[in-house]
Amino acid sequence: MSETAERFDPLLMAVLSRRLEAIIREMSNTVMRASRSAVITNARDMSCGILTYDHRLICVEEAMPIHVSALELTTRPITELFDDVKEGDAFFNNSPYHGVTHHADMTLCVPVFADGEPLFWVLSRSHHADVGAPEPTTYLPYAATLYQEGLHFPCVRIQERHEDKADIVRIGLQKIRAPHVWYGDYRAQVGACRIGERRLKALVAQYGIETVRAFVEAWMDYGARRAKAAIRALPAGTWRYTCTHDPIPGVAEEGIPITAEVTIEPEDGLVTVDLRDNPDCVPGGVNLSEACAAGSCRIGVFYNLDPTIPHNEGSASRIHVLLRDGCVVGRPTFPAGTSVATTNVNDRLINAVQCCFAQIGPPHGLAEGGGNFSAGLGVVSGIDDRDGRPVPYVNQFCVGLSGGPGTHGHDGWLTYEAPDGGGVLVIDSIEIDEAQYPILMEERRIARDTMGAGRWNGAPATAGAYRSLAGPVSVFYCSDGDLNPAQGVLGGEPGAPSLNRKRAADGAFRTLPSFHEERLAPGEAIHYRTVAGGGYGDPRDRDPAAVAEDVARGWLSIERALGVYGVALVRATNGIDIVVDEERTRLLRACP
Amino acid sequence: MSRYQVSIDIGGTFTDCVVSDGTRLAVVKAPSTPPAFERGFMDALALAARAFDADLAAFLGATGRIVHGTTVATNALVEGRTGAVGLICTAGHPDVLTLREAPRKRAFDWRLDYPKPFVPRTRTFEVRGRIDARGNEIAPLAEDDVHAAVDHFRRCPVDAIAVSLLWSVVEPAHERRVGEIVNALWPEVPVTLSHALNPIPREYRRTIATAIDASLHAIVPAYLGRLEGAVREAGFAGTLLVANCQGGMMTVGQIAARPIHAVMSGPTLAPVAALDLSGEPDIVVIDMGGTTFDVSAIRARALIRTTEAPIGNDLLGLPKIDVRSVGAGGGSIAWVDSGGLLRVGPVSAGADPGPAAYGRGATRPTVTDANLVLGLLDPAYFLGGRLPLDAGAAHRAVATVADALDLEVAEAAYAIHVTGNENMIAAIEDITVNEGIDPRESFLVAGGGATACHIGEMARALGIGRFMVPGVAAGLSAFGGLVTDIRGEETATLHTSSSHFALDAVNRTLAALLGRARRFLERAGVPEAERRYEYAFQARYRYQSWEIEAPFEPAVGALREADVPLLSAAFHDMHERIHTIREDDGEVEFTTWTVRAIGAGGGTAELAATPAGERLPERDTRRVWLGEARAFRPLPVHDGNAPPAGAGVTGPALIDSDTTTILLLAGQRAQADAHGNFHVSVGDGD
Repeated sequence: MSETAERFDPLLMAVLSRRLEAIIREMSNTVMRASRSAVITNARDMSCGILTYDHRLICVEEAMPIHVSALELTTRPITELFDDVKEGDAFFNNSPYHGVTHHADMTLCVPVFADGEPLFWVLSRSHHADVGAPEPTTYLPYAATLYQEGLHFPCVRIQERHEDKADIVRIGLQKIRAPHVWYGDYRAQVGACRIGERRLKALVAQYGIETVRAFVEAWMDYGARRAKAAIRALPAGTWRYTCTHDPIPGVAEEGIPITAEVTIEPEDGLVTVDLRDNPDCVPGGVNLSEACAAGSCRIGVFYNLDPTIPHNEGSASRIHVLLRDGCVVGRPTFPAGTSVATTNVNDRLINAVQCCFAQIGPPHGLAEGGGNFSAGLGVVSGIDDRDGRPVPYVNQFCVGLSGGPGTHGHDGWLTYEAPDGGGVLVIDSIEIDEAQYPILMEERRIARDTMGAGRWNGAPATAGAYRSLAGPVSVFYCSDGDLNPAQGVLGGEPGAPSLNRKRAADGAFRTLPSFHEERLAPGEAIHYRTVAGGGYGDPRDRDPAAVAEDVARGWLSIERALGVYGVALVRATNGIDIVVDEERTRLLRACP
Repeated sequence: MSRYQVSIDIGGTFTDCVVSDGTRLAVVKAPSTPPAFERGFMDALALAARAFDADLAAFLGATGRIVHGTTVATNALVEGRTGAVGLICTAGHPDVLTLREAPRKRAFDWRLDYPKPFVPRTRTFEVRGRIDARGNEIAPLAEDDVHAAVDHFRRCPVDAIAVSLLWSVVEPAHERRVGEIVNALWPEVPVTLSHALNPIPREYRRTIATAIDASLHAIVPAYLGRLEGAVREAGFAGTLLVANCQGGMMTVGQIAARPIHAVMSGPTLAPVAALDLSGEPDIVVIDMGGTTFDVSAIRARALIRTTEAPIGNDLLGLPKIDVRSVGAGGGSIAWVDSGGLLRVGPVSAGADPGPAAYGRGATRPTVTDANLVLGLLDPAYFLGGRLPLDAGAAHRAVATVADALDLEVAEAAYAIHVTGNENMIAAIEDITVNEGIDPRESFLVAGGGATACHIGEMARALGIGRFMVPGVAAGLSAFGGLVTDIRGEETATLHTSSSHFALDAVNRTLAALLGRARRFLERAGVPEAERRYEYAFQARYRYQSWEIEAPFEPAVGALREADVPLLSAAFHDMHERIHTIREDDGEVEFTTWTVRAIGAGGGTAELAATPAGERLPERDTRRVWLGEARAFRPLPVHDGNAPPAGAGVTGPALIDSDTTTILLLAGQRAQADAHGNFHVSVGDGD
């Protein structure tokens, strides 16, 4: 990275970077507010970004990390496939073989022209509720090839002269379930990208093309300098860490071990992540797309650097990613299935990368976070007949999020969701879900004695139950973590595994398989528990006052406080509050 | 006779008081005195009396009305000094206040602690019983659980009880019954019921508002009691009203019964003031203080409301006038990060030690220090000369950043000044663009003493052609209290849609809301002729989950079949305005209905006009660093105190008054109106 642009006016640098962030915020706000799918409008499973026309990421803001960490792969096919890109075009893409993360992350890209010259791409990526797959879900762990995944738009032009191309839209309207929801979500993306386009054109008009160009170069240099400075503060060396995805019947009977090898070269300000020593693609939908494999390596590294470093091409250039063709965490061989590419194996990969840093020792690294896809994130479909007319629906609920990893100085983040999400997903409002769909959310609570014990705990799991208030429903989920929990690091313990059960009409419970579609008749309910985060450091070093607080808030039993943390607790005189028995605790912790 | 109308806005640092005697306005400031805010209140009244050459008793005896904007509720919440709350919730859902809607965080930041809930789990009690989204009873209320809850809370103990059950907004029977049982068992403890306080769906927002309201029962009524006692004892016999977060005011009794309405009540008076000062349709109102910068907006002569006002780690939950605060004030500290980028804030030097220029030992540069280096402030005439500034200390502080950036000190000061502007511009864009307002087409009104030396450049950066620096800029919110109305609102949840519109049910709801609104105005003592009602609904396209508010006017107090398409059309228009897209054949779902009760308030229309004149007296010249020249230039300094009506100044120039300094850039022309306000327009090439 050249240092030539370093003398760009520091004043303009601050001004223009703020302007671009404001544009992305405005785009994101439009997508969130104007979309239809609950997973977008409630959970914020969407992201926006701005790239240069030559495919270098400039700016993302409050986005889902997995959506935006390899965006250059999404726009590049446009200029490879089209030689007539013009103002007013928009390109739609959900093909994992054209740079998209997975098929549900339908992505709209709009070129931004100024004085007839293409300068930028604005991009909106939303997780759509349906993709026209054989089953009403956007996650198909058993889909071994792309031919079983439903509808793909392999980077097609969907707008010209700012107008929809009706023939292309008609493909989606026919093939996708609840087409009005899909179209509403798509139109929200159009609104966002056109706002971004308008704002960028105004910015260029105000400051001039040359100034904006110079800013972009200086901004990339700035990102690189910040990343280098952070990497220089780390020790040199190579670390390996392996996480194992749960077995999937018929796809990977023994589970899928994922190994990351991280090499830090502080003097060069460079981190290399090598994924080449990993299994080949599996005959199922959990293979990673290239966008996920490359993006997740960057994510695992960025999780360990100063979070205020801008996530642009400049900082990404300090992370070298080594991938292999035909690898489950590499470049998949067409037509290998990648329906579930953003979550399951991908979450194991991010954990493996971030845990390499924990091998350095305190204060570095993170434990494993709960990578989860229990029925708490289930894709539910059925018929809503509450108004006397049957309306089919399909939606992914985000009622239960997994627990985050402990790290030096801090417990795990409670509403973490999964490594790929960066904790930016919003948890569903019970009342909004119940108003929109004929579902009763019977219960949702933080599950006691689930968190990975540590000097700093992994966050606890969330447990809940739901059932249909109308006819039968089907629930899809891909619950990695039922067998292999999120491990702790540096003496920290694993969090509790996930759990999915069915409650029959007579109240009897049955544990359900991990990768599964379950039909629920009226009167039957599904009970889920998400994955708890792994702990960081020895739980017997945890501050006793924090242990007392965990018991008081119902996250921990008095028995585990004693047995795992070596902290003796008693009730206060009101019989409600919890206080530390200092003397007994000292004795307990004195003996090994 | 009631010669004076008084408004007092207590902020964190200063207590601002604006008095009208029917012909002129006076603005005085006294230091705030937390936590006994009533002392600063009385100090400000004493200063006001002196401004009119009266003793306090005579002044108060001749005062008809005092309006009070208070920070007491906000302060108690921020500092965690509220009463202890017990929360009664639906069984199975005890963690609503912990999970929230997932608190916002930066995606790549893991070195942070998850925020604690507003009510601890040990003070949360689940009761069995369940209503569904359509109001059906799924499980009956287990009254034994309520008895157990009261027993538990007595042992804790708690100061107030909040009750928030799922779907109480659709069917409040369970929640009402819980309230009855608690009242019977423990009559002296205040109880807030969620459906009565904040009848909106989304359990977190309703619950947090209910818990906050309950927590303030231990703070607000007692404070208002002390305040009213003090002011009555000093001779005041008029009406004491308190500003609420709806941009209006309520009686002391009404605020004491619903103390959450006092949260952030002062800043919401700023847009009310701007509405009175300017007849423009779309206005952006800014107010730069020592540590924060507040922004609000007016769209089509209406105050903008938000359902997402933040307070600490939570939302307020209750819809309120949208006033956003960012950590960008005169005291915001400038620093250079590891990549060599200049940052300003969010850390602030606060009131003590304050900026380096205050001469109290601070060495890190602030925006105020930069402004002094740039010549924008006169070290001898800051706050009318009451606080002399140390130019050397400011220069040394700014030099630390200049070294890191390899810039001249003045260039670095200008970079700090403009970066501070950018933080404020981002806040302005945030509130405007999210509401579909183009800041370029808006009019800017500047409040706060420090704002006017930034506003010219901000207006230029935003492409705003006209702005206003009111004569009462330094007490803008307090001025709002003089001109605001009695204001309350009544809301109900009723789901219906454009394809199956429940006309009768909606009309029954509107009639009930109107009845409640009317009783609100009766209790506030508003005469029939001065009562006014505004109607609004919240709606969304089917399967959207975020509602948009749109106003409507039922022609004969009730809706007719023919009005339904008009409601949908109003929604389509609003959706397009905010999100740029519309779906004319999309089904519209209506969710909540609101009637706002308004009782005409004060007003200052009869204020005497200042005499006309051609020119503003020129006091001297000052060397000011101009960004476009990249050099110091001598600028004329005009006297901005009591300007002659019609007098004008063309930039580049400075206008200094006792409470503010206006920087006019080249091409910007300021003209005083007959009430001491400066109207600035940007030359359009003529």
